[in-house]
Amino acid sequence: MFRILRKSLKTGIVTGRYPESPESEAGASPTAGQKARPFRRSLTIREVDTGSCNACEMEMNALMNPIYDAERFGVHIAASPRHADALVVTGPVTVNMEKALKEAYRTTPDPKLVIALGDCACDCGMFKGSYGVTGPVERHVPVDVKVPGCPPRPAEILQVLQRLQGQRD
Amino acid sequence: MMSDVTTPVEKLRAAFGKTIVDVAILHGIPLVRVGKADVPLVAHYVHTHPELQGTLSLLWAVDHRPHEKRYELCYLFTLADPREWLLLAADLLDEDRLFPSITPHIHAAQWYEREIRDMFGLIAEGHPDLRRLVRHEHWPKGTHPLKKEFPWNTVLGRQQGQYAFRHIEGEGVFEVPVGPIHAGIIEPGHFRFSVAGEPIMQLEVRHFWKHRGVEKLFENHTLTTAVPLTERVSGDTTVGHSLAYCQAVETLLGLEVPRRARYLRSLFLELERLHNHLGDVGAICNDTAYTLAHAHGSRMKEQIMQLNDRLTGSRFLRGVNCVGGVDVDLEASRFDEVVAELDRLEKDFTELEEIIFANASLTDRLETTGFLNERTAIDHGVMGVVGRASNINRDVRRDHPFAAYDELQVKVALYRYGDVRARMRVRMDEIHESIRLIREVRARIPHGPIMAPPTRAPAPGEWALSAVEGWRGEILYFVMAGEDGAIHRCKVRDPSFVNWPAIQYAVLGNIIPDFPLINKSFNLSYAGNDL
Repeated sequence: MFRILRKSLKTGIVTGRYPESPESEAGASPTAGQKARPFRRSLTIREVDTGSCNACEMEMNALMNPIYDAERFGVHIAASPRHADALVVTGPVTVNMEKALKEAYRTTPDPKLVIALGDCACDCGMFKGSYGVTGPVERHVPVDVKVPGCPPRPAEILQVLQRLQGQRD
Repeated sequence: MMSDVTTPVEKLRAAFGKTIVDVAILHGIPLVRVGKADVPLVAHYVHTHPELQGTLSLLWAVDHRPHEKRYELCYLFTLADPREWLLLAADLLDEDRLFPSITPHIHAAQWYEREIRDMFGLIAEGHPDLRRLVRHEHWPKGTHPLKKEFPWNTVLGRQQGQYAFRHIEGEGVFEVPVGPIHAGIIEPGHFRFSVAGEPIMQLEVRHFWKHRGVEKLFENHTLTTAVPLTERVSGDTTVGHSLAYCQAVETLLGLEVPRRARYLRSLFLELERLHNHLGDVGAICNDTAYTLAHAHGSRMKEQIMQLNDRLTGSRFLRGVNCVGGVDVDLEASRFDEVVAELDRLEKDFTELEEIIFANASLTDRLETTGFLNERTAIDHGVMGVVGRASNINRDVRRDHPFAAYDELQVKVALYRYGDVRARMRVRMDEIHESIRLIREVRARIPHGPIMAPPTRAPAPGEWALSAVEGWRGEILYFVMAGEDGAIHRCKVRDPSFVNWPAIQYAVLGNIIPDFPLINKSFNLSYAGNDL
């Protein structure tokens, strides 16, 4: 017990201890701001991996660690698309994942946002044209925000989410 | 000691005489060519002979067209002592599409032979399970992407079809399908559990949802331009994959990598091991709902990733490895910064270990959970962290030293309990060992160049193999040169491909709520498996 308390006291508050990232080059559709209005204080995300190399997943996970702590801005991760306000999609959409992506989109309740995370999700990146890949996310579901980067840093993702929520210009 | 005199190849010659078509040695690897009908016999001999005890490390096919009208099947065995490689090869000439399966004798071949069927249309006769593996059922019949006549950018059609899961029937038996999309932020894969009450009676893993056609994409690259692609085979193993690939190409190009570059490679590989293991220790605890350890673990992981970023400009150490050496050099002051940071981290982590081990209810969840016994592990050729937790004493850094490991002595963590706790202990020990190795790197690193220019071009058809102990386990690359420095064939083998089937055995008798915990303790890559 004392060991745990001592550890916590020694560690202190680590939230926010990360280098500021440069302005993200994320592009948003004209309607994205309007669609994001209901989620200004609370945005629940379902992450869908449609064929990424798992670096984007690692950065999404990092978003929830004590250092970035996206929860402090009202960003949560849901276990099911049915509980989500936004889908964050990573990776080029593979032939085998196409159906699963569409189904996840269909089961997400309206109003909803789709965020394409990383170069692969935006334009298939290195896997463009491959027989195993059907195209970028926007070919299958409407995309509201595109976050480039391979992978984008957690600070960048956080920046984009905050901008989307209107918590940041 | 008398028997030591005969080499493995001589043993094979003595046992099989004229069935052996040809023997050659390329880049130090003995290659024994046999007729395709004799493969099962010879493979079985290599696998079971008490002095050879070959483990099947890799099985792949090469399409030699358009130059030669043949397919080649290659069976790579790692012998027991010394841990040397032995390569068996057999040809399928002209229109021949059938080869005898070795799966009935050697369990580890099962996924490889199914993969070869999907990718090349070559059928393993006598294989007990010829369902599709990589190609899901909706792929049109006759699609075999790695055949040379198959264009890399083919747009696939769709057909109807359904995967035939293995069913257990009986009173009170339920099936629980999970995936491909899972609850956490993880990659897609499908798990089908059969349960009676709580205990799992059967688990079937259905993967390859993320198949992006990586091996085919390699064939669009030249030997020197493919490094960024290797870094994206499995993002969390950026250094491991790019290093294994670079080593294979360096063998082909006859490059002698400078010592300083070799030390830097070891440094980056250990940093990658560190951030992944730190994250995993926390994440294993998280799956027992012990979020405190998770918070500390992910904090330490982030600390290393920020260090990576400061050192190289990439949190994942991308762009570090290149053919001939490394692209990033570090000044002496940088090394001091790294070691100072790791000294702090080690103290921090040791305190976390004490907290974790003092928690009896946590230990209770970890002990005896997800038990993988040594026999099953051997049969499936299980490797890496998972193998070392089940008493499989293998580590490429020690057995086949690469980078600077010939001068850095690696102490291999080994446990025999085979449960979740053992897998966590292996990771914990390796964290301390990695920190020690990085200190050694700083003490020993010589000055000098960090890159070697290519000296020769490989002849078409020349090949090389390379192994790297990534943080998950042994990563293998087979690279065959084509015309004008192009890649004719690149076979990628992430340790996940070998370890995934083993998880089906580790979960038996456990309850489904413990599956995430067991899965986390394996922590296998889906992307590296699916390619």
